[in-house]
Amino acid sequence: MAVQMTMPILVVDDYNTMVRIIRNLLKQLGFENVDEASDGQAALGKMRMKPYGLVISDWNMEPMTGYELLQHVRADDKLKPTPFIMITAESKTENVIAAKKAGVNNYIVKPFNAQTLKSKIVSVIGDF
Amino acid sequence: MAAATLAAERVRDALSSLNRADLKDPRLVEVLDLSQQLVDAMQAFFGSLDSKVIGEFRYIGTYIARTRQEIAALRPNDIKEERIPSAGAELEAIVRHTEVATHTIMSAAETIMSADPNEPGFADLVNDRVLEIFQACSFQDITGQRVRKVVDTLKHIEERVERFAKVMGVVDAPVEASEDDTRKKKLLLNGPALNGPEVQQDAIDAMFEKSGSAGQDAIDALFD
Repeated sequence: MAVQMTMPILVVDDYNTMVRIIRNLLKQLGFENVDEASDGQAALGKMRMKPYGLVISDWNMEPMTGYELLQHVRADDKLKPTPFIMITAESKTENVIAAKKAGVNNYIVKPFNAQTLKSKIVSVIGDF
Repeated sequence: MAAATLAAERVRDALSSLNRADLKDPRLVEVLDLSQQLVDAMQAFFGSLDSKVIGEFRYIGTYIARTRQEIAALRPNDIKEERIPSAGAELEAIVRHTEVATHTIMSAAETIMSADPNEPGFADLVNDRVLEIFQACSFQDITGQRVRKVVDTLKHIEERVERFAKVMGVVDAPVEASEDDTRKKKLLLNGPALNGPEVQQDAIDAMFEKSGSAGQDAIDALFD
């Protein structure tokens, strides 16, 4: 199925600059319908209000981490199928494995570049 | 102890004698005699104390005095009222300046990205924005100096505490993990690694390959 470039994407990060960077990179890739949330709890609230074609989330946030957000999403029958990419500075093996077991679709370690972001999005939602 | 008891008995006898006497006209000699006997009783009492116990009390007193001196040498008020607030202010300034610099850099980059290369003046616009970016990058120099000041403060505190612990012969007591520490451990909140990502992107990519067996091999490879 062709990727809908107008699909809403949710970027979750408590650091405004990172949200801005990802938003700009997504814009360069052709995705302009981007929402943002500053932590897992806010993101979950937004996801329950409208469907997102992709969630890109940081790990280390309060009061709800990206890892907890992922667990909530995968536990919710309605939200479960949502593609989920973790972009984080958490780079220990245990983090990657835990995220994979929790059902993350892909995992990007910070710092990252535009090419990495694009390739991971393609791997998750298909070529565009 | 026998000498103390005897002295105390003599004090009591003297007091009884005074009580029987006409107190309107106490004889000075009798009062002086009573005072002498009180002094003798006290001397006898203290003399009867075990000299070893006195030695122990003297040692404890000396140790306490030395501990006070060492604590004073730490200059805890200076650390609390000057150095730590100063370090905190430096860190806050770092956050502020990096935020401003980042905003400047990103705004300049966004302006370049959204500009039309076919428009006249594009080259000048790019040049001007790039100059803004270079200027904004000077924050690194200032934040570097501020970070050094904070590190100096931490080193100062570390040296003082280390010296104190060494002089006092202090050994770390076992500490139970706090609720916050337990939560961070449970949610794998390790934070960024000091020298860059511990697991490289290539290794992570290999884990997310579609084939299940390749995925497990890649996971296993992370533990090699």
